[in-house]
Amino acid sequence: MEEFFQQLTNGLAVGAIYALIALGYTMVYGVLKLINFAHGELFTIGSYLGLTLLTALGLSGLFGPVLGVLLLALLVMGLVAVVGALLERTAYRPLRESPRLSAVVSALGASIFFQNAVMLIYGARLQVYPQGILPRTAVNLFGLYLPLVKLLILLASVVIMAALYLYIHKTRIGTAIRAAAIDQGAARLMGIDVDRVILIVFLIGPALGGLAGLMVGLLYGQINFTMGWVYGLKAFTAAILGGIGNIPGAMVGGILLGVIEAMGAAYISIAWKDAIAFVVLILILIVRPTGLLGERVAEKV
Amino acid sequence: MKDHRKIIYGVVTALLVMSPLFLNKYWVDVLNNVGLYAILGLSLNIIVGHAGLFNLGHAAFYAVGAYTAAILNTRFNIPVLWLLPLCALSAGLFAAIVMRPIIHLRGDYLCIVTIGLGEIVRIALINDVFGITGGANGIFGIDRPTIFGIAIRRPHEFYYLIWGFVAVAVFLFHRLENSRFGRALNYLREDEVAAEGSGINVAHYKLACFVIGAAWAGMVGVIFASKMTIISPESFSFWESVLIFTLILLGGSASIPGVILGALLIVGLPEVFRGIANARMLIFGGAMIAMMIFRTEGILPPRPRKYALSDDSSGESRA
Amino acid sequence: MEEGSMKKILFLTVAFCLIAATAFGANTIKIGLMAPLTGSWASEGQDMKQIVELLAVELNAQGGLLGKKVEIISADDGGDPKTAALAAQKLVTQDVVGAIGTYGSSITEASQNIYDESKVIQIANGSTAVRLTAKGLKYFFRTSPRDDEQGRVGVQALQKLGYKNVAILHDNTTYAKGLAEEAKALLQQKGVKIVFYDALTPGERDYTAILTKLKSARPDGVFFTGYYPECGLLLRQKKEMNWNVPFLGGDANNNPDLIKIAGKDAAEGFHFLSPPVPQDLPSKEASDFLRAYKKKYGSTPGSIWAVLSGDGFRVLTAAIKATGSTDSDKVAEYLHNKLRNYPGLTGTISFDDKGDRVGEVYRVYRVDAKGQFILQP
Repeated sequence: MEEFFQQLTNGLAVGAIYALIALGYTMVYGVLKLINFAHGELFTIGSYLGLTLLTALGLSGLFGPVLGVLLLALLVMGLVAVVGALLERTAYRPLRESPRLSAVVSALGASIFFQNAVMLIYGARLQVYPQGILPRTAVNLFGLYLPLVKLLILLASVVIMAALYLYIHKTRIGTAIRAAAIDQGAARLMGIDVDRVILIVFLIGPALGGLAGLMVGLLYGQINFTMGWVYGLKAFTAAILGGIGNIPGAMVGGILLGVIEAMGAAYISIAWKDAIAFVVLILILIVRPTGLLGERVAEKV
Repeated sequence: MKDHRKIIYGVVTALLVMSPLFLNKYWVDVLNNVGLYAILGLSLNIIVGHAGLFNLGHAAFYAVGAYTAAILNTRFNIPVLWLLPLCALSAGLFAAIVMRPIIHLRGDYLCIVTIGLGEIVRIALINDVFGITGGANGIFGIDRPTIFGIAIRRPHEFYYLIWGFVAVAVFLFHRLENSRFGRALNYLREDEVAAEGSGINVAHYKLACFVIGAAWAGMVGVIFASKMTIISPESFSFWESVLIFTLILLGGSASIPGVILGALLIVGLPEVFRGIANARMLIFGGAMIAMMIFRTEGILPPRPRKYALSDDSSGESRA
Repeated sequence: MEEGSMKKILFLTVAFCLIAATAFGANTIKIGLMAPLTGSWASEGQDMKQIVELLAVELNAQGGLLGKKVEIISADDGGDPKTAALAAQKLVTQDVVGAIGTYGSSITEASQNIYDESKVIQIANGSTAVRLTAKGLKYFFRTSPRDDEQGRVGVQALQKLGYKNVAILHDNTTYAKGLAEEAKALLQQKGVKIVFYDALTPGERDYTAILTKLKSARPDGVFFTGYYPECGLLLRQKKEMNWNVPFLGGDANNNPDLIKIAGKDAAEGFHFLSPPVPQDLPSKEASDFLRAYKKKYGSTPGSIWAVLSGDGFRVLTAAIKATGSTDSDKVAEYLHNKLRNYPGLTGTISFDDKGDRVGEVYRVYRVDAKGQFILQP
């Protein structure tokens, strides 16, 4: 029984990271109906930038662990947001009026481009975050081993998701984003600057992805230029699982995916765990074709 | 304009027929790969280009064909060319069974499911499911194809086999495109509800086009297996599906010349960029983005269908 | 732009590159290097390129080979069999006298027939699958040892360390799984109990689920046959879990980055198998090489496999020099029968008639508290 709860917490921690990345996917999709395949690479860029800033600026040395990490997080988020906005401007904006699949190919091209750019700039060998930035203590709750850092990440993810949800539902800009997600043309007619809305989405989404990258770097210590591909795919799966375009859905999907993976590994077979996750996804989609929290939107004929 | 195109196709075909005579082994092999990808592209084109279904897991069908061929050939010594129809059948059957429960899924959901399918197949292959796939090592010792006792081994020989196959595929797909079936697919791509309303059994057609696409991909798998003589799961990854998908869109989806051009680009460009070694893929990624921006529908998009008007030159409509 | 002209431009480009690709200098000896310069193994491939190019420069500085300069032609195999086949074709058409490479047994396998049919010598550096030399290919050699030898040494080491219940963890790659299966079979023969046998997925970061499962199987020791990125993470995460069962690793863990990832206190006490690294060899060649590498690139070589490609280059050029010719049959014959105890960067090298490297190459290493790799007796 103890193993069950331990694996559950393992899965929750992994799922929180998937959720953060999935949020970025789902926001972009909601507004542009585009699957931003380059999102995984933005995650990678976040972790590499975090490493560079950490070693170059020695933030934790200057400000102490808590403040230093916060500052680092803000810097990384800001920088990746800028990269995201640039990506939108160069690779997606010219294709706004084009068939959807063209934008997908452009996204794939951007993904290849970024991945190789990171490889050329930072080298093909994997990089390691300096250790000892975050305390390595673990909390021992009911005999379960819960690293403090993972708990913090889980907490941070929940807080961020809540903040994002409030932002989207309670602020004017949030309403504008939702309007643009429903119907760009009508939103424009209402006086909403759709370009600005899209820009904001491409600032927030990538920022979250970059933050997830920083967290992964701090938590696991090891980063390499191909990790965006795997994480991106998992996050995309999580977003679909929860219902793409749906913010709480991304969170639920992410956490659920993490737990399914952990359970699959623990009780069936580690080697098959990814296949198991996909099988569960397919089963869920057969029963609920728009994802767990996805709305069944009636198609107007 | 139309004659312009026909002349170019003629020139290209003549060049293709003669190229093994003046190209060296390496470039002939590159063209071999172009040929294989061309057929793969055509097989996916039915699904993505004509029916407008978002399939990013096509490598799964390719893998089923290749592995069936490999297993049957290494264990039962069935000659490779006989395996072509067998593996088309197995891949098609696989598609029919697997896609049946999920065929009604909408756009992007179908996308992730096809990705998932591709991954499940790949993981099953690596984990040596049922003990027959050889795991990460793959299967080796696949025979070369033999025609009337002559084994096809050199790139030049494979060239004619593969491009002969391409010619057959082009012919068949061209007929398919212009048939009722092809028109029904296009219709359901444009407006699914209207198509259903016109009496097209949407689920049936969607499934049928997946089966056809899978069958052709399976056949390419056979040729690939016998050309490489060893196959391993690495060759059937998500990346492979992405490549085939991309080549259709780069060249022009729902257009046969477009698909062939796309295959040429997707295989040829990384080879041409070999000189830049490490930055090879970087340039390739950038090229993809640029091509989409400058030629959104692909370089050779399909021309709209033309229907000749009847002789009534006054243009009056008949009641 | 008109559709037709785009196609024309493309064909012209292809034709131009074809012409450009035709070999220029007739006054050099071309040696091919097939390596993963892009793709998931890019770090290995780029290391290989650096080492081989350095050795070529040194050789040319000493007068070259048979009076001519040596030219290294690299071809990227992308870590993928298909690309490798094309890379091999490319090298073959550029008239290389031999090809070094590559890393990854199934990648190498895709290129074997191509080299063999064109009678080009191939010396693989990172391909340990047993069956590669079971095909009777006269021109194929490898400086890397084989999985079965490593399995034997691994089992010896496990027994020496006194484990009665062993867990085996691999990552489903050709190499790791092969080694795991060899070890499993041998251990079972010797009556050691295998309490756990499964594979992790490489490229991920969080292995706590796997470690939790491993822990509940209660092994005395764990034999991990995968690669150093995952091993580093495993060591680090198991330390965080306060689980102290010792790990033994295969030779893919011989990489200083392992210590960086795991952290010194987590890595202490970790054992692994490996061919000896240049740092541990007393020979002059090894120390000269290390000095030159450090001078040019500022660090010691990261991967033992890349160093093995350096050995591949050295035996090839030694054979050409000794036979005075670049004829593949003569060079192959020399390598099979006459090359004996050649001082390599990883120990002495001789080849048997199948092309395998002869001799017990593997040694056991232990990581000490300072993160150094100490060769065990």
